[in-house]
Amino acid sequence: MLILEFLVKRILQGFLIIGITSFIIFTLLRVVPGDPVRLIVGGMAPPDVVEKVATKMGLRDPIVVQYGRYMVGLLQGDLGQSYLRPRSGMVAAGGQYVDPTKSDMAPVTDLILERLPVTLQLGGVALVFALLISFPVGIAGGLRQNGWPNTLAFAVQSLFVSIPNFWLAIVLILFLSVKLNWLPALGYQGFSYVILPALVLSVEIAPFIIRTLTTSFGEVMQAPFIDEARVRGLSRRRIVYAHALRNAAVPLVNLLGIQLSTLIGGVLVIEYIFDYPGLGNLTVVSVVGRDFPVIQGIAITTSAVFVFINIIVDLVAYLIDPRVEL
Amino acid sequence: MTLASTVAIAPDPASATQSVNRRILGAAWGMTSFRIGLFVFIALLLASAIYPEISSMSATKMVVKDKFLPPLFIGDKWSWGHPLGTDQLGRDMLLRCLIGLRYSLMIGIITVVLIFIIGCGLGLFAGFKGKWWDTIIMRITDAQLSVPMIILAITILGVSRPTVPTIIIVLALSGWPLYARVARSAAVTERGLEYVRGLRVLGAGDWRILLLFAAPNILPPIAFVAVLDVARMMIFEAILGFLGLGIQPPTPSFGSIIADSRKYLINAWWIATSPGVFLAVALTSINLMGAALEKARNRVYGGL
Repeated sequence: MLILEFLVKRILQGFLIIGITSFIIFTLLRVVPGDPVRLIVGGMAPPDVVEKVATKMGLRDPIVVQYGRYMVGLLQGDLGQSYLRPRSGMVAAGGQYVDPTKSDMAPVTDLILERLPVTLQLGGVALVFALLISFPVGIAGGLRQNGWPNTLAFAVQSLFVSIPNFWLAIVLILFLSVKLNWLPALGYQGFSYVILPALVLSVEIAPFIIRTLTTSFGEVMQAPFIDEARVRGLSRRRIVYAHALRNAAVPLVNLLGIQLSTLIGGVLVIEYIFDYPGLGNLTVVSVVGRDFPVIQGIAITTSAVFVFINIIVDLVAYLIDPRVEL
Repeated sequence: MTLASTVAIAPDPASATQSVNRRILGAAWGMTSFRIGLFVFIALLLASAIYPEISSMSATKMVVKDKFLPPLFIGDKWSWGHPLGTDQLGRDMLLRCLIGLRYSLMIGIITVVLIFIIGCGLGLFAGFKGKWWDTIIMRITDAQLSVPMIILAITILGVSRPTVPTIIIVLALSGWPLYARVARSAAVTERGLEYVRGLRVLGAGDWRILLLFAAPNILPPIAFVAVLDVARMMIFEAILGFLGLGIQPPTPSFGSIIADSRKYLINAWWIATSPGVFLAVALTSINLMGAALEKARNRVYGGL
């Protein structure tokens, strides 16, 4: 019952947050300079044509009216249509003129749904890599607060957090794919294309996980119930994995919720470098092309993902440790 | 009353804050990692402040006959004049890296100061006032937090013109929510403490309590950790530069140098490597200091 109440409350709050977010992005995009209509009709079009297309597309209405219209569409699952991408998948440019006011432009919902799984795959694999790196390092560091494992954990985390992700990406492409030819780097044609970007991404996330694990393990191991477990004669392995890990996991789960935006930001840059056809790449291309509906759609999607995952995170934290307040 | 506050937090909060902060600094200074970080950082700072001023070369003017000179002792065309070699237009890499470092540090530090002021200001206000002020400010914070900073930055900078002030504003705009959250939760705890009630009884107003008594207790611990964010902001600045949304060429910035150098990666690897190494060393030094300060803070506050 408590969980149900929590879910209802948080989901309602979530909708409010997504609403505010979408309004901020929507207003921002219309306040900043740069008229998308100019790009749609082309630089040579006379001003009256620009105005005509703009009025037809509703871009000269007050922002609140435009936002209202957008939200009505959003409630029906319609995020509008791209300004630049026709349904055929090609980017409209030069030669053939695609009328952006007609329905032959790709719906934003489709564009996003097409790419979301690819991006989630990258994020998921990166998270697995990061956990694989940080669990041994972090737990060892937390268990021996004054020994070399702690120093090692500190060194790894300081080093990893200081390497700029795009630079690491370039260096790894140079060594692992150009020189040694071990892994494919650019584009996406199968699972092996995920490994290199995921590796770079995991280096970005790992330091935060290591730090949390080290501190929370250090604290948990001081707790009276660990001493008591020792007195009961439990083996060290059992104490660490069955008793300490469960308690140290709560801060870790919370961290994942907070660091999610770092993860998403990292995905964006890395997809761009590796030319990985996910949401991040779409964002960069859309921003450069001033494809407003797509940018808005992505911002709303990411904020929804963020809110949703944070609800799950709080729920999981509660299930692991019922002392956590919902 | 004094007894209760002694138990709740550090010793007598109003008079002993100074010494608590000094103890944290002292504890940090005692760590080797902090000293290494500080010395490297000061060395980099001095180099970036002095070398471009005394050097007779220009960081932006091209010298075509000197292009692709390798760094010292590598190959057979190196020269003492260009310790880190030259780039595709014959510009000195050391000079360009140091100027890039200058911008990077400047943007990083100013942004964090701004974030600190905005975030902590709003957070303290929300936590101290409570009620609907709190609700409104924290919901805006949540909304801001749910849009990843990079998406926001790219969106704004991509459609407006990137200059140093806009980059700083964009980074600050997207960075404040975490500070607001931390400051708010500290302020909520602080509001319930005995000394605040005591001040209320003595007739002090909200603002007086907040600025003169609560803020000096709440802010320093947050400020010590803010050092780590300078490094984070420098990375973001470099990422923006890399995407072409940072400081515009020909002014050198780490991101744009690395982005341009990708074309010459195989034959002139030093163009991509040296700014990366510079950035990584600068970030490591800041992170070492920040981590040491954080550790010292936790030790002083935790194990009094």
